[in-house]
Amino acid sequence: MGLTKEKIAPAAEKIPGVSYLMTRMDQVINLARSNSLWPLTFGTSCCAIEMMMATGASRHDIARFGAEVARPSPRQADLLIIAGTIVKRMAPRLRTLYEQMAEPRYVIATGACTISGGPFIYQSYTTIRGADEIIPVDVYVPGCPPRPEGLFYGLLTLQQMIRKGETIRQPGVRRKPVLCALPPEITLADIQKEMEELLKKDSEVDVEQTRKELAWPTGLNK
Amino acid sequence: MSTSDIIPGTPVNEPLPQSELVKSILALDLRAAPYEGNADCPAVQVPVDGLLKLLTKLRRDPEFNFDMLSSHTAVDRLEQNVFELVYYLYSLTKQKRLLVSVLIPRDNPVAPTCSGIWKIAEWQEREVYDLFGVCYDGHPDLRRVFLEDDWQGFPLRKDYHDDFMLTREPIES
Repeated sequence: MGLTKEKIAPAAEKIPGVSYLMTRMDQVINLARSNSLWPLTFGTSCCAIEMMMATGASRHDIARFGAEVARPSPRQADLLIIAGTIVKRMAPRLRTLYEQMAEPRYVIATGACTISGGPFIYQSYTTIRGADEIIPVDVYVPGCPPRPEGLFYGLLTLQQMIRKGETIRQPGVRRKPVLCALPPEITLADIQKEMEELLKKDSEVDVEQTRKELAWPTGLNK
Repeated sequence: MSTSDIIPGTPVNEPLPQSELVKSILALDLRAAPYEGNADCPAVQVPVDGLLKLLTKLRRDPEFNFDMLSSHTAVDRLEQNVFELVYYLYSLTKQKRLLVSVLIPRDNPVAPTCSGIWKIAEWQEREVYDLFGVCYDGHPDLRRVFLEDDWQGFPLRKDYHDDFMLTREPIES
C-alpha cells in the first residue's frame, strides 16, 4: 500500500465510510507513464557511450528510474534520448524515427552537440545546430557529455513534467522545455572527491587485508 | 627509460631497418624519389604519370608484395596549389608499411585509378572524389559515397564555403 499512500495520495481522496479510494484516471496513467519510460536505442556519438556505459550500467544504473528497457523499435519506445551529433544526412532519419514512435512521446537532448551544435557550430558543412531544428525537445541536458547525475536530473525533470503536464483530455499540452544542469546539491568538490576515492581504491591494494578476506575459514591456506 | 632498458640488445637511435626498403625502391629506377615531408614510416614520392607503374610493381613483385592498400586519402595544399594524394601500403607477408605520395595540380585534379591493383581502392577513391573532387581516370563507378548525390562542391577543400556554414568572427580585444 506504500504506492497508494505515497504516490497517488495527493490525487486520491477516500470515500468516507468505505475502503475505496477515488482518483483521476489521468493522474494514474501519467504516473504509470512517467515511471516506465522506454528509451529508443538511438545514439550517434560519444554521448551515447556515456549513456550506455556510465548512466545505464551498474554503478549509476538508470533502471532505478524505470527507464532501462531500451527498445530497438521506435514503435515500442516512448522516450527518445538524442545522444550525439546530428548531421545533415542523419536528420531526416531522426525525424522519421520520431514520427514512428507512438504518442505520447518525449525527447531528451543530451550534450552540447544536440543543444547547439557544440564544437562543430563554426566552419562545419554538415552538423545540424541543435536537434530542436528537427524535432521538438522536452528537456535539454548540457554537458560534453553530461555526468550521469545530470542525465538523471533531466530524466526526473521529465517525469515531473509528465505527471503535471499532458492529460488525456488535452493531449499535446506541454510545459516549456527545461534546461537541466547538475542538481544544485552536487558540487564540483563532490565530483572531485568521488573521483579521488575511486582512483585511490583502484591504485592501493592492501595485500594483508585482501589475504585475510580471501582466507579459507578452516585455515587451509595460512 | 629507453627501449634498450626494456628489451636488452635493442639498438637505440639507429635508423629503422625499413629504410632499406626505400633504398631498394629507389634502385628500381621507376622515377621514385625520397619523400620530402614528414612521415612516420618509410616514404617515397613519384610523379603522377609514373604512379601506376610503381604501384603495380610494388604489388606484383614478390620482393615487395604490398598486398594491402590500408588507406588512401588526399591533402589540400592550397598555398602550393596542389593536391597531395597519399597511399598507405602494407605487406601482410613482409610486415612492412610504405607511404607513396603523388602531387597533382589543383586546377586539373586528375589521377589514374589503382582499383585494378587493389579492389578496395574503388571505394577509397570514391571517398576522395566525394570530399576533395579528385577525378580518377578509368574508375568504374565514380559516384559520391558520403554526401547526397545532388551536393554541390567538395567540402574538404580549404576554399570550400556554402550558405549553411557559419564563420566565426574574430574576437576584438
